[in-house]
Amino acid sequence: MKAKNQRLVLIMVAVVAMLGAVLLAMSGLKDQAAYFYAPSDVLKSPPALDRPVRLGGMVRKGSLKKLADGVSVRFIVEDEAHAIPVQFKGILPDLFREGSGVVAEGRFLNNQQFVADNILAKHDERYMPPQMAGDQHKTGRVS
Amino acid sequence: MNQWHFVIAAYALSIPVLAWVVIASFVAMRRAEKAVDELKRGTS
Amino acid sequence: MHAYANPARFLKIARPLTHWFGWIGGLLLLLCVGWGVFAGPADYLQGETVRIMYIHVPAAWLGMAGWSGIAIASAMQLIWRHPLAGIAARACALPGAVFAALCLATGSIWGRPTWGTWWEWDGRLTSMLVLFFLYLAYMALASAEQEADGEAGGEGRMTAIFGLVGAINLPIIHYSVLWWRTLHQGQSISLMKGSSIDGSMLWPLLGAAVGASLLFGAVVLMRMRAELARTKLEMRMRRLAAS
Repeated sequence: MKAKNQRLVLIMVAVVAMLGAVLLAMSGLKDQAAYFYAPSDVLKSPPALDRPVRLGGMVRKGSLKKLADGVSVRFIVEDEAHAIPVQFKGILPDLFREGSGVVAEGRFLNNQQFVADNILAKHDERYMPPQMAGDQHKTGRVS
Repeated sequence: MNQWHFVIAAYALSIPVLAWVVIASFVAMRRAEKAVDELKRGTS
Repeated sequence: MHAYANPARFLKIARPLTHWFGWIGGLLLLLCVGWGVFAGPADYLQGETVRIMYIHVPAAWLGMAGWSGIAIASAMQLIWRHPLAGIAARACALPGAVFAALCLATGSIWGRPTWGTWWEWDGRLTSMLVLFFLYLAYMALASAEQEADGEAGGEGRMTAIFGLVGAINLPIIHYSVLWWRTLHQGQSISLMKGSSIDGSMLWPLLGAAVGASLLFGAVVLMRMRAELARTKLEMRMRRLAAS
């Protein structure tokens, strides 16, 4: 084999090996690298109660309620399988909507109750002018 | 806060940075090619 | 392909291309960004901030395309030992780094009003930041190695290997939003599934991406021509000094 071809094969093998290693590592890290917990993860593996975590999902329609003190809100974060009530005191981001994605930073009081100290609105991948949106934006998926 | 402020900030940052990289690369190229031309003329 | 790897022949093609790419790319980018920003619609959820996408998305693509260019050129350099490939790889570094930085900066400016945060350490944001640091490391390594080789006229093989290995970050960036839960939204445009961006925003976006790509090409050509001229200059100086 000519030296040139040898180098070609060597580099191709190296690239394939690197690619394989990365794909393997990424799928292995799938759970650790997740930026937030989904409500159904909480069922599968209950999170530690004493450390800050993020909870992400869709805000259930009609679940947003202002509490008596005027600054606290309550709403329900849900995915396909499970729902968790969240309590938050502070200013919600502009893009926070019922039926839209949200990531709450805070901690679990127990398996059924989450207290957030920060709320991030999660945007989805759909972009369209308002007149077209109609009621399409009422559904969405957080994976 | 007005959303337009963020849009303006994004472009106020991007346009000068892009202009800088294009102009800097162009000037560097011009200078190097000119030096080669001058040297060629000087020696031949 | 080797026919085009001859520097003289390369220059003959590169000279007119630099102008065409530069002017057409620059005008197209300005035109399409202006179209999107001033004539395009606001988004149903994001409102006006969606207009940042016309620079953010092309910058993200080109930041990644820049490293793809480095990786492909580096592989060609390592396999065929052609110096022009090495020059091409190094020429991609600065424009790639600039686009990666613009992607991070404009994304941060977009994130504040949209998500409610300037920065979060989620998979997409972090892997993009890593790409930017890889560019910085690549440029430092390239200049250090060229300096060390100096008189010897080395090929910059360490730089090429680094360029090739660094490409493993590209699939991580791409798949980060598919495989990991991230704050960053999923993919909007895909070759298989089409686009979830409405046409009134998609066309200016694609136009801006083509324009930015041409501009990127022009910058790469300029930097390649500059390095070729510098090499030529050095060789002549050395010959003059010897005679």
